[in-house]
Amino acid sequence: MRLNIVVCIKQVPHPEHFHEIKLDPESQTINRRGIPAILNPPDKHALEEALQLKERYGGTITAVSMGPPEASQIMEEAYALGVDRSILLCDPLFAGADTLATARALAIGIQRLGEVDLILCGTHSMDGATGQVGPQLAEILGFPFIGFVRKMEIQERGTVLAERTIERGYLKVEGSLPLVLSVTKEINTPRLPTVIGIMEATQKEIYTWDTKELGIDPALVGIEGSPTRVSGIFERRLSRKGELLQGDPEEVIRKAIKRLRELEALR
Amino acid sequence: MDFNLTREQEMLRNMVREFAEKDLAPKALELDNKGEFPADVIKKMCELGLGGTLGKKEYGGSAMGHLASILSVEEISRVYPPAGFCLEGIHSAIALIQNAGTEEQKKNLLPRLIKGEKIPCVGVTEATGGSDPSVMQTVARPEGDEFVIDGRKVWITLAPVADIICFLATVDGKATAFYVEDGTPGFEKGHRADQVGLKSVPIGEFAFTGCRIPRSNMIGKEGGGLPAALTVFSTVARPNVAAIALGVAEGAYEVALKYCKERKLYGAPIANLQAIQFSLADMSTEIEAARWLCYYGVWKADQGKSVREVAVDTARAKVFATEVAIKTCVRATQLMGGYGLSPEYEVIRRLQDALELFPAAGTSEIMRVTIGRSITR
Ligand SMILES: Cc1cc2nc3c(=O)[nH]c(=O)nc-3n(C[C@H](O)[C@H](O)[C@H](O)COP(=O)(O)OP(=O)(O)OC[C@H]3O[C@@H](n4cnc5c(N)ncnc54)[C@H](O)[C@@H]3O)c2cc1C
Repeated sequence: MRLNIVVCIKQVPHPEHFHEIKLDPESQTINRRGIPAILNPPDKHALEEALQLKERYGGTITAVSMGPPEASQIMEEAYALGVDRSILLCDPLFAGADTLATARALAIGIQRLGEVDLILCGTHSMDGATGQVGPQLAEILGFPFIGFVRKMEIQERGTVLAERTIERGYLKVEGSLPLVLSVTKEINTPRLPTVIGIMEATQKEIYTWDTKELGIDPALVGIEGSPTRVSGIFERRLSRKGELLQGDPEEVIRKAIKRLRELEALR
Repeated sequence: MDFNLTREQEMLRNMVREFAEKDLAPKALELDNKGEFPADVIKKMCELGLGGTLGKKEYGGSAMGHLASILSVEEISRVYPPAGFCLEGIHSAIALIQNAGTEEQKKNLLPRLIKGEKIPCVGVTEATGGSDPSVMQTVARPEGDEFVIDGRKVWITLAPVADIICFLATVDGKATAFYVEDGTPGFEKGHRADQVGLKSVPIGEFAFTGCRIPRSNMIGKEGGGLPAALTVFSTVARPNVAAIALGVAEGAYEVALKYCKERKLYGAPIANLQAIQFSLADMSTEIEAARWLCYYGVWKADQGKSVREVAVDTARAKVFATEVAIKTCVRATQLMGGYGLSPEYEVIRRLQDALELFPAAGTSEIMRVTIGRSITR
């Protein structure tokens, strides 16, 4: 069974540099200038799963991202890992998109690819961290969605049998193709690109599609098409208050419990 | 002037850094304590393509170039210098065969070396003195379609585990390059030498007693051994050793910097003390100087400059970077007080590794001789 797989990927600021990101209270935006950008780490697991599925079943892998021109870096990295096609949905009109407007753009991009069996996403992006794009994408495309997949298998009868992580265990779920899955980091260990893969990647074409090419109504994407708006951004300052309790251990414990109750940290 | 890496080089560096930090860092100390050849690390590096950055595509390499080759050696050595050193040995052998070998030798040997299926070594040094190859005593006597080899090589990187052994021997008094496959009668690999650093790199000797090899094992022309070896030293071995030194220095500096930011004395991190900052400032400045010197020579090689034009710059890189490595490691131990001497911080281990880099691929004095001659010519 050959599979046509799409992997949704995103470029995010390097998590090790998150503390350098500045908030501009006047313009209500975040300033990422000078922060190195990388492929969203959870997406590496989605790419890896696609590569392993292709190795087993054959087929094609298409990486799709909506992002600024600089995101072509991660499209190149996807080529280096072995995807067949990298498509960047790129248009200034996409800027400011919330998760719904993002999912819409991705869905329209994916619909242009023809037949698709499986769409893989990471569980969330390290910067936005909503985890909403995957499910919204499934909804728009009318595909089933299985989230937080830690193990998956393609069944003969054209379904996916997946283990979906829940708080204290996992659920076994079956869904019929085509469908959208988000995978957790437990599912695999992402490979590194090889030197030859890197060399070849820089020779390949990154397909860039804008709103015109996609035939998208600009009112549906970007900030225009986003029903949620950022009403304000603020920096959270963590300050800790220390309090020293003295006495013998039993007494200190009693005092501590009492204080925690007063502070409503314990009920 | 453009100081940027190409996109390919940048992706390569990121890949190697990730490999070094995720795969090597957790086990570097243990591997080194065992003092065993890290065969699976070498295999993995070759699978990623790090053995083939100099190899042409028709032999399974990527031909990404000299700068790419030392970027990977630097990143590996930042974390685990012995693996960087093994890579240097592999790069040198590949370059020797690719530069001077026959098409048949290249087709037969290079793909296996690039994939890491076979381990090579290059033996020039003899007990009579590495700096003066004119006293070489290993001889190759022509006999019909064969050569009969007698002699002994010492201090050879990877020799104890090598499958393909490249070496120099004299034919009628003229140094000539050959290779022999492990297991050939009359060829014997010796034990490894006791090493102060680079403990998991097998370095040792090998000997020939009436060892017969076919004429087709001659690499390059009869009498062409020294220029072939010097080309490899100047364009590959020395810049690679310089990159190992650079990586060693970076690794030691990063450990010390982190320590100084975390260690609190007088109620604040010692990194706030100006005396400590001065030391860190000097370390980082010297490392930056070493880095650009290291990159410059191989960048010229990638631009197609002649061996002669490259040789002086790579000699400068080697002498400077190895000295910076030692200085940086000593300073790092000082900044860390007693903990600088503790094995788990891996600064002392790096100092020991750095000491091994002085003689490797030509001593500091020989580098200065090369530089001195070129500027007084
Ligand atoms: C870790 C390691 C790996 C090695 N790997 C290899 C390998 O793979 N293949 C290989 O062939 N060899 C290898 N060697 C050997 C190395 O190349 C030699 O050690 C080096 O060339 C010096 O030779 P030597 O030890 O015989 O010292 P000598 O040549 O005897 O030198 C003794 C001293 O005299 C100085 N000296 C020599 N000539 C001059 C001069 N003209 N002016 C001023 N001072 C001078 C030297 O700098 C040195 O201080 C390796 C060595 C080490 C430590």
